[in-house]
Amino acid sequence: MEDVYVLGIGMTPFGKHPDKSPADLGAQAVSLALSDAGVGRRDIGAAWVGHVFQGMAMGQRALYAAGISGIPIDNVENACSSGSTAIWDAALALRAGAYDIVLALGVEHMTTAFRGALAPDPSDIEAQLGLTMPGIYAMRAQRYMAQYGVEPKEIAQIAVKNKRNAAMNPLSHFKKPVTLEEVMQGRLIADPLRMHECAPISDGAAAVVMVTKAKLKQLGGTRAIKLAASALRSGRTEVGLVDMTVEDLTWRTAEAAYEQAGVGPGEINFAEVHDCFSIAEALRVEGMGLVPHGEYVARVGKGEMDLNGILPVNGSGGLLGKGHPLGATGVAQVVELVKQLRGDAGERQIENAKIGVAHCRGGKAQGVEGTACTVNILVA
Amino acid sequence: MVNLDEAGVLPRAANFVIEDGRVHLRASRCPSCGAALYPPREICPADGTDSLEDILLANGGTVYTFTVARQSTPEFRTPYVLVYVDFPENVRVLLPYDGSEPPAIGAKVEIVMADGPRLENDELVSMPHAK
Repeated sequence: MEDVYVLGIGMTPFGKHPDKSPADLGAQAVSLALSDAGVGRRDIGAAWVGHVFQGMAMGQRALYAAGISGIPIDNVENACSSGSTAIWDAALALRAGAYDIVLALGVEHMTTAFRGALAPDPSDIEAQLGLTMPGIYAMRAQRYMAQYGVEPKEIAQIAVKNKRNAAMNPLSHFKKPVTLEEVMQGRLIADPLRMHECAPISDGAAAVVMVTKAKLKQLGGTRAIKLAASALRSGRTEVGLVDMTVEDLTWRTAEAAYEQAGVGPGEINFAEVHDCFSIAEALRVEGMGLVPHGEYVARVGKGEMDLNGILPVNGSGGLLGKGHPLGATGVAQVVELVKQLRGDAGERQIENAKIGVAHCRGGKAQGVEGTACTVNILVA
Repeated sequence: MVNLDEAGVLPRAANFVIEDGRVHLRASRCPSCGAALYPPREICPADGTDSLEDILLANGGTVYTFTVARQSTPEFRTPYVLVYVDFPENVRVLLPYDGSEPPAIGAKVEIVMADGPRLENDELVSMPHAK
């Protein structure tokens, strides 16, 4: 099978963009990615576009605004993993030899898409009974605290770390670090989770230009980063009384990615993971087998996941700090890995970054343990 | 037996019956793999069996976890307590909790009818709660 590379990256600032349409944001990310890749609009063979709440043909609207039309455009909805699923689709098409230069774009204009807390689809019985996304993660946090003897303020340190990193990222929604005291004085959203522990409502877009190894040789250049693995899995039917602190879906997806890349969890240098809530970061990193179950929060407290720690996690600021425009999130994670692996991450550069992992897991549907999960591994 | 769901008293968010004044959630059991499924289903999502048995869950269970939802979608009046209840039939069900203070993990609860947290035309809806 063909090796796949990320040749170009582009990302808008994440945050509130009342003056821009989702198509404007998408087009901006695409233009940046094309220019970074050094390829033209007509070089793109096909495009996959991830979004959740943007309605009909978001992909066509954004690419039209970017000056691209006529090619195959595939709109991808896979909850919060929509953008990273677009990358998975694009990688599959390149590996199959169907195309040699493709585009994956993620875009979301959250501030105009809905109000209140994010919740499962309204047709889902748990949504009808009052379940929200903060609610489900709060309930998982309660179990985590009870099972592993952890306090809310220990979990809250994850938000402090990610917002500190976000302050060093010029594209972040939040530019200001917060203290643990500020997090603990924040408004409760769903006990024990407080405001700073929930990802904000953000607008934004991110895009990557991906190529086959053969095409890369032809184009030349040294800035491409190898996409060593791209794995996608869905949650299994949950039967019986399972442990809600353990993410079977995250593990199965990560396991598939480790196998594809030929690397073990011990070789991963740094990670971007789906921290939609503070507790989620612990569940993901433990789920991927990077830290034993129940130990993550204590390790964060020791600084092991800081930018200069043994396993930096969410150096970009994560969803908590950088922001979470759903469809764009998974692509933005890969954009961050590329920046780190190129040595272009500026103030937040991780020393000796060689192998990075991006984990994106979204959504909630009654009856299954998670909906969609992707794990992408990039190698310098 | 009064089936408020079929009587149209509640929207889709209700699969329950009241027998002798006690609230029981309606569920399915797969005769093949034994999975208990709430809400009731036509096809077993675990093994694909399409001839499932109708069952009623016990009138109570054990609290697996809880939270207080202080922010929600516009259809709900906040704050409200949510719990996951583990039933003896080996199935876990999300329910609102009738009370402003959440129960402890492991607490025994029964299933009762109570108002809220869902709103229909600005009125709280009577729906099954854990208590």
